[in-house]
Amino acid sequence: MTISLAIDTSTSRSIVAIVDADKVLFESFHEGATDHGKALPELIAQALKVAPKPERVVVGMGPGPFTGLRVGITFARTFAYARGIDLKGVCSLDAIAIDQSEYTVAVDARRKEIYWASYKDGVRVAGPSVNKPAEVAGYIFDAYPDMQKLVALSHAQNETEPMYLRRPDAVPTVERT
Amino acid sequence: MSQPIVLGIETSCDETAIGIVRGRTLLANVIASSVEEHARFGGVVPEIASRAHLEAMLPSIERALSDSKLSLTDIDAVAVTAGPGLVGALLVGVASASGLAIGLGKPLYGVNHLAAHISVDYLTHDQPTDPTIALLVSGGHSSLLQVDDITSKITKLGATMDDAAGEAFDKIARVMGLGFPGGPAIDRTAQSGSASAIDFPRGLTTSNDWATRPYDFSFSGLKTAVARYLESTPDYKKGDVAASFQESIVDVLLQKSLAACKATGIDSLVIAGGVAANSRLRAVAEERCAKAGIRLRIPSPGLCTDNGAMVAALGSLMVAAGREPGPQAFDAQSSLPVERVSLQFAARNNALYARR
Repeated sequence: MTISLAIDTSTSRSIVAIVDADKVLFESFHEGATDHGKALPELIAQALKVAPKPERVVVGMGPGPFTGLRVGITFARTFAYARGIDLKGVCSLDAIAIDQSEYTVAVDARRKEIYWASYKDGVRVAGPSVNKPAEVAGYIFDAYPDMQKLVALSHAQNETEPMYLRRPDAVPTVERT
Repeated sequence: MSQPIVLGIETSCDETAIGIVRGRTLLANVIASSVEEHARFGGVVPEIASRAHLEAMLPSIERALSDSKLSLTDIDAVAVTAGPGLVGALLVGVASASGLAIGLGKPLYGVNHLAAHISVDYLTHDQPTDPTIALLVSGGHSSLLQVDDITSKITKLGATMDDAAGEAFDKIARVMGLGFPGGPAIDRTAQSGSASAIDFPRGLTTSNDWATRPYDFSFSGLKTAVARYLESTPDYKKGDVAASFQESIVDVLLQKSLAACKATGIDSLVIAGGVAANSRLRAVAEERCAKAGIRLRIPSPGLCTDNGAMVAALGSLMVAAGREPGPQAFDAQSSLPVERVSLQFAARNNALYARR
């Protein structure tokens, strides 16, 4: 089967896995909202010991805090480019595995807001969006992307741009008071 | 590997820059700048810069390879700016370099942005640069450095106490309505004015300053003086203000650089960083260095501003000097001190920076 290197840095965790079809050969993460830059290469080195030549790369495209999110995406892009292998991007919220037919998941978006999306029978029916927690009903919060699900979704989905969902904070000079 | 091919990545501010060198020969120098996106904000917006880096990274690497007529497998090592700079912007470069190096199975060098600015001189001049005094002036930095060995030993003699020189250019250009970035705008406007029209102050040049902080800079007093002059002189001549303001900065930068050469007995001066592209600084530096018998080297204007060639050049010098690459994983360091020329070297020579 095809061996995938899976990467997600859309949450406070840097998560790396090696997935062979439906088997997870390696999975590890590092917890630390500002550690993605240093943690990711270390996790990748461990993963490559298990499978030195992955045949494709799958990366979580967010939504998630921007700085960490970019680390995973750009690493995935340059690594796949260097190896000459395929890269697929997947919405990170979609990869959060919840054993229910209808649910809403959310992750920390900082600034007292959350990134969220709702699902019904395995299909995303609302979101991804960014809102204040009070504006979103009954969401599951303490969950992280599942690398096996991320890889499974990559066969049907390919997001190519990071899901920022917010514009950069900046006020043009002419609009300043 | 006598002539290593090194790919350098620079993302410390608003330029996504990729350079490729073979030994000391420049093969490619690709710069994708997001400066136009920042112009309406009057300065660099870190999040806009970081997004632009992510977008421009792969296309820039691809273009650098095609410019140099090389394929990826020809690359012997990857070098990247580890700091100092905007942390979110730096991280895009570091993670990209890491993905590339691990993907290719080639060594990765995390290098210092300021040291890289100086080392780019190696690409245009035959003789080794070091030992030398180096004046590093840009939008984010203004330092006077003693470079004993460009790959391992740089000592900071002085630095700005407030604004960087380039920052002062930006701010004065803004109050005069000349646009962003301010350096080229002031340089252009000054062509039509007189450098001696207005006697603006020279920061930190009293006899007490020369005794206590001879190699430090301060541009805030100058900035205030110019702002006050503009307020009190409604019919001011833009050319005269720009030329006189520029003269004050150029004069102080060179007075201190030449004093450092004299005090250390090093008869070589390298001027690098974006402000080194300023035409008046280049002209006055040539004049004064010739008179003082100091060998002056300024990279071509295109290599003074942030670029990837300088990172590749420093990486290439690291390889040539037999410096160890790595560490395998490292973080972007927004305030990396200039004494830490590369991350690996600093890690092995704690004594060097413990001195600070």
